[in-house]
Amino acid sequence: MANMKIKAKEKDGIVKVKALLKHPMLTYDQAKKKGVEANFITHITAKVGDTIVYDVSTSQFLSKNPQIKFKFKGAKKGDELTITWVDLSGKTVSESKKIK
Amino acid sequence: MNRRNFMGFGVLAMAALPAALSAFSSIDFRQTKPDAWKAKTVDDAIKALYGDIKPEEKGVTVKAPKVASNGGAVPVTIKSDIPAKTVALLQNMDPESAVAVFNVPENGIVDYFLKIKLKATDENGGNGEITAILEGTDGKFYKGKVALNVAKGGCEG
Repeated sequence: MANMKIKAKEKDGIVKVKALLKHPMLTYDQAKKKGVEANFITHITAKVGDTIVYDVSTSQFLSKNPQIKFKFKGAKKGDELTITWVDLSGKTVSESKKIK
Repeated sequence: MNRRNFMGFGVLAMAALPAALSAFSSIDFRQTKPDAWKAKTVDDAIKALYGDIKPEEKGVTVKAPKVASNGGAVPVTIKSDIPAKTVALLQNMDPESAVAVFNVPENGIVDYFLKIKLKATDENGGNGEITAILEGTDGKFYKGKVALNVAKGGCEG
């Protein structure tokens, strides 16, 4: 099972990305109720080659299995987009998708 | 027959290598601005992130449904044409107000969408508001906001 569902399409020089990141995203309150440690994605970065095209630090308030969308310039069809997230526990997950 | 000069030429070429490496690198705002993530109000989060700024309310569009039926997944869009360095997404409904801080690459496009969790507005006196602060590359600050109601809270889940 993939950790992320990524769609990346280039048109007129702009790449539009839609990604669904699989993560339980437990806030501190939710975790307390379940008697477990809070854990949620704290940072998401997207790169094409060595160039960072998206970089965001996040809090416990992103939805469960958060969906994100973003756009950037400077890449073309066939280039590979890699999205990486890090969570509170220190786990890092990366996934790549070729831009269509 | 100038062998000495030939050697010198090679060394010069090396020294002239341009530092073409991009200066843009990932910033972990949770490390660089830890207080911002503990701030309980939008104003405190802004102060912790950017100091005592007076953002102009223009040029930044924040969209969210007027009434969000599911507080666990509220779709929010932030858009702007202003060349940006960073964009902060804040709200006044959850226990802490900072949701996300975007580090915008050069030539980056500020057109972000994400789904967030918000508490029901009746728990907050009915004044739900999402605010985005944009730190421009011109050193100035801009803001946009949108009011909304959340019918069923999404933080306790």
